[in-house]
Amino acid sequence: MSLSRSPSPVPGGGWASPGLNINSSGRSSPVPGYSASNGTPVIWESARQKTMGAAGGYPSFSTHNQGFFTRHMRRLSSSLPRFSSSTHYAEKEKLGRGRWSGQNVPLLGRLKGIMARMGRKMKLRLLVVLLLLISIIIFFNTPLIYYWRRTSWLGGGQKYVIILAANVGGGVMEWKGAREWAIERDSVRNKKKYTNRWGYDLEVVDMSTKKRYAHEWRESWEKVDFVRAALRKYPKAEWIWWLDLNTFVMEPSYSLQSHIFNNLDKHIHRDINYFNPLNITHPFNEPYLDEASRSPVGDGDSSSVNLMLSQDCSGFNLGSFFIRRSAWTERLLDIWWDPVAYEQKHMEWEHKEQDALERLYIAQPWIRRHTAFLPQRMINSFPTGACSENGNDTNIHYDQKDRDFVVNMAGCEWGRDCWGEMYNFRELSYYLNRNPWERFKEDLVAVIWYKITGKKVKL
Amino acid sequence: MHFAYPPRKSSTPPKFVPRSSTRLPLLRRSRAKVIALAGLALIFLVYLLTRTGGRRHTLARHTPSGKPPVVIVTVIDESHHYPTEYLDAVRENRIQYAEKHGYETFFPKIGNYDLNGAPFSWTKVVAMRHAMTKYPDATYIWFLDQDAFIMNPSLKVEEHVMKPARLEALMIKDHPVVPPDSIIKTFTHLKGKDVDFVLTQDKDGLSVGSFLVRNGEWAEFFLETWFDPIYRSYNFQKAETHAMEHIVQWHPTILSKLSIVPQNILNSYAKSEKGAEYTPGDLVVRFAECDKRSTLACAKDSKPFEQQWRTSFKNA
Repeated sequence: MSLSRSPSPVPGGGWASPGLNINSSGRSSPVPGYSASNGTPVIWESARQKTMGAAGGYPSFSTHNQGFFTRHMRRLSSSLPRFSSSTHYAEKEKLGRGRWSGQNVPLLGRLKGIMARMGRKMKLRLLVVLLLLISIIIFFNTPLIYYWRRTSWLGGGQKYVIILAANVGGGVMEWKGAREWAIERDSVRNKKKYTNRWGYDLEVVDMSTKKRYAHEWRESWEKVDFVRAALRKYPKAEWIWWLDLNTFVMEPSYSLQSHIFNNLDKHIHRDINYFNPLNITHPFNEPYLDEASRSPVGDGDSSSVNLMLSQDCSGFNLGSFFIRRSAWTERLLDIWWDPVAYEQKHMEWEHKEQDALERLYIAQPWIRRHTAFLPQRMINSFPTGACSENGNDTNIHYDQKDRDFVVNMAGCEWGRDCWGEMYNFRELSYYLNRNPWERFKEDLVAVIWYKITGKKVKL
Repeated sequence: MHFAYPPRKSSTPPKFVPRSSTRLPLLRRSRAKVIALAGLALIFLVYLLTRTGGRRHTLARHTPSGKPPVVIVTVIDESHHYPTEYLDAVRENRIQYAEKHGYETFFPKIGNYDLNGAPFSWTKVVAMRHAMTKYPDATYIWFLDQDAFIMNPSLKVEEHVMKPARLEALMIKDHPVVPPDSIIKTFTHLKGKDVDFVLTQDKDGLSVGSFLVRNGEWAEFFLETWFDPIYRSYNFQKAETHAMEHIVQWHPTILSKLSIVPQNILNSYAKSEKGAEYTPGDLVVRFAECDKRSTLACAKDSKPFEQQWRTSFKNA
């Protein structure tokens, strides 16, 4: 046995060098320990202790994670206040000894310092957060969001086209006055804003009286041609939303998807009996018809709905309706105007194409099977002036508390003030859709100011 | 003073220490992270695609399975005193032909349906609609008037008429729908598989004594439109025939599914005054407008042909 140094006794008795312990003195028991690599069975006490501590049974002289200070040294030291070495000595004297230097380092320098003291991992994390933030900002402040909402497999805005009927009767029947122009301008701007926000397409069509239709006794069936043309012009469109001129989208923050189409089953009524002002006998009970045609709800599957409209107090209302691209729609558009039907009925048909559709709905099982009704206030709320014979009706009339989607000033051109109604609804819509800052100014600051000074202010 | 030296390192250190377990771990920490990230990305993508793509449906109508391939519809008129044996022969003729090819027959009677005071001849339209309800799996529905016999038992409707290649060869293109000078003409570029409605023209115009309709969504639309109460109440001179001429000329969604075939294919006439005359081997012979003269005239006209079909059915 060779010793590299003279053995020394340990306080508990025995020797620090294991080879000298002949008796089992209790201090150093025969260790099963480690003997593999260095070829000597001699184990020093200090080495043995280290061996026990290190993982995996290997000797470790690691200086890391030894104790609190070694572990947190960097953090502690970097958080300590430092004297600035850059400032001039004399200046420092003047400003006062021992003053923390943080204050007079420029912002950039301070940031640099923070960055320098930051660990690599932390830097990476910060970078990720920063990137996320930047991408969110870019997304919402550039046309990116528009394209996102538009793309058919993301937002799906391309699937919806709004047709706005402008210039009704213009050109031939009467001159358009300032009010008519104003109505048109507001209505078009309203829909333009709405479609731009959600990535839909807007088609403004000219409903002016034309020789073409006058000759064929087909005025007011232009709808059919415009829907057809829109389907051709926008090949990706799935739904066409027809809107009359005297309509106003009150809540531009509602997308069609979230308002209607995502939960089509919940919103539509296939069975007209829920609200049936025309007293149409529904469903058919002719024995020669199949099950789906005799059922009040058709086949009950919302994917088979091709036409969605609402009813007002006097029946179907085509001021706002949805029609879907399908073979069925082509057939309906084709059959909608028929000379034989027109010849027999035109005296009764006060609302022309609307009455023609009612007649088709009454007569044809194949039309009923694919038609559904939406509650009127979902797509076509009326102002108090329309359908007012029985006073205010919660199923028909606009209510700002419920934030109805669209208002249709139907029939305002007969004895009511179209422009006045349009203006009021426009202002109401702006008022209801103020942003938080405007609300804060107008609902809080201005009110407090009024209480204090007794003067109204416009902020 | 002695300080302990660190233990001497072996001059031949072990190169690698064997793993505690001999199995190679499939999932390392670093790999687990990548897998988790990829999984998240995948879930997001699936979410994106299913959100909008999930709502894409086509019209979910029952598609006919082809059992039976053809339903033969004949409206039997028992209210105008046709001889019973004549009507029985008409029924038997259809039934024998149907049995031979696995078809079905459907014989509604005049008066079965409420026509709102329209002429009885309208019954054929609603009977066709009824046949669609009754046999939702039939591929074709063939209306054959009562004044007709099927003469050639070896011809199958789906091959003799409706096979797309055959139909493309047969169809008369760019031909005035209502002769002689209607400006509405049959389509020039119509594929056989797109045809849903096959009929013939005789000398007066479109003939509704024998026509074929392919069962499906379009057929419902067509028959229900044809049966519209507004046409029934209009007093067309030839009732449903003229109503059909009207909708065919005014509504391209109907014209685009229609094909006119030569009369001999499914609507030969016993006499040549009204249209193409029957020649042996034709599928059908009709004693057209025999009922204009008298009910007995039909029975009389049918006699010679009854012998013929009975023998040819026996031999076939």
